Amino acid sequence: MSKQLHKHCDCRNYAPVDVVKGICHRTKDVILGDEIQCEHYAQLNKCKHCGHFTASAEEFMGICNADPAKPWTYPDLITVTCEAFKA
Amino acid sequence: MGKKLSEVLEQSGLSMNFEAGGAAPEGVVEREVAQQPCPRAAKLRELYYNTLSSATSEFPYWYTRFHKALDGELPIMRRALALKQAFAHLTPMIYPGELIVMGRAHYYRGSYPMPWLSEGYYMAKEDELHKAAMATGGASADELSKFGTGGGNVTQNFGTIVSLAGKFGMRQEEVPATLRIAREWVNKSADDVCRKYEKMVPEYPIKESIMRNVVCIMDSGFTLPQGREVINYFYPLQYGFDGIIAICEKRKGEVAGRAGGDGLIGMNRLYNYEAIKLVVEGVQSWIENYAKEARRLEEFEQEPVQKQEYKEIAERLEWITHNPPRNFREAIQLCWTTHLAVLNEDVASGMSPGRMGQILFPYFQQDKERGDINDQEVLEWLQLQRIKFTCIDVFGSAGVVGGVLSGNTFNNLCLGGLQRNGQPAANDLEKLIIEAGQRCVTTQPTLSVMYDEKLPEEFLLKAIECNKTGTGYPAWMNNRNAMDFMLRQYGREGMTVEESRAWSVGGCLESSPGSWFELELNGRKYNIPGGSGQPTSVGVHFIGLPKILELVLFDGVDQRTGERVFPPHGRKLESYAELWAQFQAYFRMAVDCLATTNNIQHDIWRKQNMSVFTSMLKSRWIETGRLIHEMGYKYNATYNVETCGTVTLVNSLVALKKVVYDDREATLEEMKDAVRNNFGFKTAEEVKSYSLADQEKRDESGTYDRIHFLVLSAPKYGNDDHYADSVMQQWEEWFCPMCSEFESLYGLPMYPCQISVSTHAPMGAATVATPDGRLSGTTFGDGSMSAYAGTDRNGPYALFNSATVWDHTMSQNSQMNMKVHPTAIHGLEGSKKLLELTRAYMRKGGFHIQYNIVDSKVLRAAQQEQEKYRDLVVRVAGFTQYWCEIGKPIQDEVVARTEYEGM
Repeated sequence: MSKQLHKHCDCRNYAPVDVVKGICHRTKDVILGDEIQCEHYAQLNKCKHCGHFTASAEEFMGICNADPAKPWTYPDLITVTCEAFKA
Repeated sequence: MGKKLSEVLEQSGLSMNFEAGGAAPEGVVEREVAQQPCPRAAKLRELYYNTLSSATSEFPYWYTRFHKALDGELPIMRRALALKQAFAHLTPMIYPGELIVMGRAHYYRGSYPMPWLSEGYYMAKEDELHKAAMATGGASADELSKFGTGGGNVTQNFGTIVSLAGKFGMRQEEVPATLRIAREWVNKSADDVCRKYEKMVPEYPIKESIMRNVVCIMDSGFTLPQGREVINYFYPLQYGFDGIIAICEKRKGEVAGRAGGDGLIGMNRLYNYEAIKLVVEGVQSWIENYAKEARRLEEFEQEPVQKQEYKEIAERLEWITHNPPRNFREAIQLCWTTHLAVLNEDVASGMSPGRMGQILFPYFQQDKERGDINDQEVLEWLQLQRIKFTCIDVFGSAGVVGGVLSGNTFNNLCLGGLQRNGQPAANDLEKLIIEAGQRCVTTQPTLSVMYDEKLPEEFLLKAIECNKTGTGYPAWMNNRNAMDFMLRQYGREGMTVEESRAWSVGGCLESSPGSWFELELNGRKYNIPGGSGQPTSVGVHFIGLPKILELVLFDGVDQRTGERVFPPHGRKLESYAELWAQFQAYFRMAVDCLATTNNIQHDIWRKQNMSVFTSMLKSRWIETGRLIHEMGYKYNATYNVETCGTVTLVNSLVALKKVVYDDREATLEEMKDAVRNNFGFKTAEEVKSYSLADQEKRDESGTYDRIHFLVLSAPKYGNDDHYADSVMQQWEEWFCPMCSEFESLYGLPMYPCQISVSTHAPMGAATVATPDGRLSGTTFGDGSMSAYAGTDRNGPYALFNSATVWDHTMSQNSQMNMKVHPTAIHGLEGSKKLLELTRAYMRKGGFHIQYNIVDSKVLRAAQQEQEKYRDLVVRVAGFTQYWCEIGKPIQDEVVARTEYEGM
């Protein structure tokens, strides 16, 4: 995925206040989540970054291969609490 | 434009003056008491003001994924394991400056749908939502910030944000997952399963017609199945989560395979203890994840003070994950975490913290004795607690969250009352709680004083001072009334006088039973109160009383929709007695079909969605092993019959009695014709105002002027007028006992609940003109004991006489809202007057009174320039809400309320 596609809301140091904006833990500023990342970007792990994830043809959907049942999942599901996450 | 009703009345010599007891000053008068929050709270509150209600699909995803994977497991284990995984996978989010941390979801004001209760909304809107999610958007920062300053409601799609239920925003990339989750619950959700069995009730067609025509406003079992009750924090405070798990393990060993003399439920105990253990483990993982996040931020943070705060947050969380709290800060964090866990387990509004000042007092007292904390530090923490509570959102349908709740979540914190031994329970921490409420004005938690003659004057005046900030809180509840009601309703379940003192308010003003628990802290013992009753305001939800009267007058046919609701009665209604008898018959019919169908809803809920974590907090689970669905709570007779529009009904009955039956100034047919034709006026929807005075004439012929004048001139409730008040008495003395003829799914009798919340707006919108002269679509009178706006002309004490012609202890509550101009209660003398006024109502036997201390001109200005009044709060009906987050009908109704200019 190209660097330009990363948004603030994909950054580990972005604390989402709501669906639009959040606080940058580095600067403490309120910023818009959909704006493009700054040079301090640190990846917030989501399903789409996981080695067990396969994207589906349907937009915003995918499969979790970490589970033998291969349940569906979605790319933007945050995985900081998922023990099966594979970088 | 036609003439306004207020102008028509002026010409007829019948002024509709909404000022009583004098005239308001010409200029705008601000509230006398205005304080500021501490800098930390001010910053976090400002963040709240600019936060949108935001929804995620994270919790529903993990819950659904594991629930599905566990097909074949016992229902309770399936639910417990799904809950455990959902809690364990929540993303932790901590914001700079916070000391109390954790939230429902990873947004500041986050929430999520629970489609296992009801997925119908998503299925109905699937196509629309899917299209919105797939549309690409590029909203500008200007558009977004504009949205952010207009209150937190996301009422429409914008940019990459999709609006759900007219209130919650969801990021477009999550919408397809939300829809997919909803699809997985089709024919499995409580809503869908309920429908199947509800239809087997013979009177189901009447119930459906009642709901379609808004005679009743909401179903009970799959909308807000829990809440309007009081949480009990005792078990985590006393044992800690590791201690609770240890108790479960021990009890499992004792009960496994043993029925314990109970052939029906005895064997369930093993599964119940295991379920509690699993959910508590999930909650522990959730707290641990927050602790890890705090550690990560501690490492990342450069600024020394913030770095230290993250460290202390981590230490507190690491401790309370496993252990009972040792101090005030740990205790307040643990109570907050426990509160959130309850809210994350099920859809609930009005999960009240109860008597928090008495629960936290042992920690406060011992910390102060040790010199570990001072009052200023406690005040800061209490202000931060207010902001956390205000950030709670309940995710529900537009009709429920908007129409019934006005977006409020009803976390009621009660003060005062009595201790177990009958001594006054007010303490120094409670005074700080009031002070925090004055300094940091927020909607949550709302405060209520459990008024008792034994409470110290100083404490009561402190509460009055808070009223004068214009917060709308504290509300005043009559402690002795509530105790009497407790004994009346819960005596059959073993309630004693001592235990009746442990009551508290759940939700806005639903009195709820409690128990005393012995907390031990550092070798000292304290009796703390905690909730021990099932949800209230469940069973039969709001029935619009004026709507029932409309159906009586028109032989069972709704005049707005033309649809038949009740079977024809065929009566000519030739006497008032006949009219009253038919009203009783239709009302009884409505209660019966709503009780049976809602019993089925709750029965399905308890079989599929029983609460585990909340049951662990409240039930006698250690001794009995029973959970909520097995009547495990100490008090289970909590189901009720709710009404709306009491005073509009009473005034309408009075007008019919006076004009048609006693004085014979008009025939019933003439009255019906006038009602049908809205007394020659336009509808509220056409006028775009929901206040009676603003309504405009359509018909200038004057056909209905005479009859309208007659009904408006008829005696009105609220003036100490026996003619009107006897009708109120007749209604209450019939209604209160009749509720006990209906039983809940637990086989226990119901009781009356008489609050309006916000239902008087949508139910008024669904009701044509009423015989009291109210016009089509305008709101009903608010509360149940408030006078209808502009009709109380003899002062507050006359209103109190009218309101207390019946015994309020027969009812769970009654509701009196009063608007007072700030100048009427200026200074210490004014405070004493307001306290005396309150005391007078309590002594006469009134249950509840609450005040809006505000100049109505401020409210009118705020209607015109909403964006300038982001922090303006008003008291609606049992709750304080931000003006900008209230719908226009309720705004109009609050503006129209009689404003008392003098006491």
